[in-house]
Amino acid sequence: MTELQQELFEKQLVSIARGMEYPRTPDISGSVMRRLRPSAQLRFVSRKIAWSLAVILVLFSSLMLIPPARAAILEFIQIGIVRIFRTEATPVTPPQQEFPSTILPVTATPAPTSEPLIPILERLAGERSLEGAQQLVDYPILLPSYPPNLGVPDRVFVQDADGDLTILIWIDPENPTQVLMSLHIIPPGSWAVKKMDPTRVQETTVNGQRAIWAVGPYPIRFSNGNLDFVRLVDGHVLIWTDGEITYRLETELDLEEALKVAESLEPVR
Amino acid sequence: MDESTLVRHAANGDAAAWEPLVLAHQEAVFRLSYLLLGDSDDAEDVAQETFLRAWNHLKRFDVRRPLRPWLLSIASNLASNRRRSAGRYFAALTRAFRNEPTSSASTEEKSARRTESSELWKAVQNLSVPDQQIIYLRYFLDLPVTETAAVLQVAEGTVKSRLSRALDRLRGIIQQDFPVLAEGHEGHEV
Repeated sequence: MTELQQELFEKQLVSIARGMEYPRTPDISGSVMRRLRPSAQLRFVSRKIAWSLAVILVLFSSLMLIPPARAAILEFIQIGIVRIFRTEATPVTPPQQEFPSTILPVTATPAPTSEPLIPILERLAGERSLEGAQQLVDYPILLPSYPPNLGVPDRVFVQDADGDLTILIWIDPENPTQVLMSLHIIPPGSWAVKKMDPTRVQETTVNGQRAIWAVGPYPIRFSNGNLDFVRLVDGHVLIWTDGEITYRLETELDLEEALKVAESLEPVR
Repeated sequence: MDESTLVRHAANGDAAAWEPLVLAHQEAVFRLSYLLLGDSDDAEDVAQETFLRAWNHLKRFDVRRPLRPWLLSIASNLASNRRRSAGRYFAALTRAFRNEPTSSASTEEKSARRTESSELWKAVQNLSVPDQQIIYLRYFLDLPVTETAAVLQVAEGTVKSRLSRALDRLRGIIQQDFPVLAEGHEGHEV
């Protein structure tokens, strides 16, 4: 089609489309406001809670002035966003009695434990089988064929982030309390891409395409509906795109190895 | 109060500030959802969900940006997710065609225009979802290229190239399967 033909065609399309008869727009604002009001009240309650938290923070700051208390408190502050206490005290409850797997809660104050940093997979929303995930998403789920003994992911999640994003997780076989690697496959249009906001470390390439080697957490939805920024692996993040899909590999591997993983993606056999 | 001020108030939990924004944009959001889903009930659900999601994520929205592209982007994604349920989509289409407005127009011209619009919609539905989205935004909702680019979160140049390809495909479909449109409006071939 020449430019002139296209211009004419476009004009005719606009003219015809203007004649489109739509159903009357329903009272969306009324329905939305009715559904919002309870949450608006909750926000008011939340503000009260916020004030209470502020008071607790003041107390907390005072405690920080006392050396033994400060030492104990710092044990969990150092862990960062995954709020797990690490103290030398005897664990009150063995983790496996409270949780089916190797998982600790992230939001509630957990029982003291000597476990290392453990991800919070049990609380993540949208767990699926690999096959179930592939049926749900409209892009091919690619798996790394490197390292050769990696195998299929141990856990698979599909989460709605304005588009179904897939999270593949491999557990460390030598240390089942640790995530070895996680791969996020993010479709176009997802707000999750914009929200990654990593601390930029350096630029690199994956299959000749621009990529970023960075550190930073990632928004993940929990089964209670909350969204939190989490790192599943205490390492680096490699972010790259292939067509319209964005990939985010979280790994303890060095850059050279991470690139090999990224460039080994292939369809599920 | 301008839009960005209202958005700022709403982001701070002021539901009363959100209401005029919903009112201002509900028609565009509903119409895009309806075009993508072909069913007014589904479109209403998606439109409601769009405004609720937007409300929940307002804190992260850059108030310097216009609100409508963001809302349309959410609606478009929600509608696309919903139509993945093929049974629901085809049932909706069946209902839409069954309930197609009868030609009760006062003049023949009005009736002909409506038939053309309806045929055009059917022709567009033969395209892929991304092609449909871009055509609905640009020609049915009459959005400028800049705003279409903002909704689809791509560069303006990408919008133009995607549009050009989508139009080629649409033209092929029209010529093959929609003789009413191919014969053209007022004697011009579409």
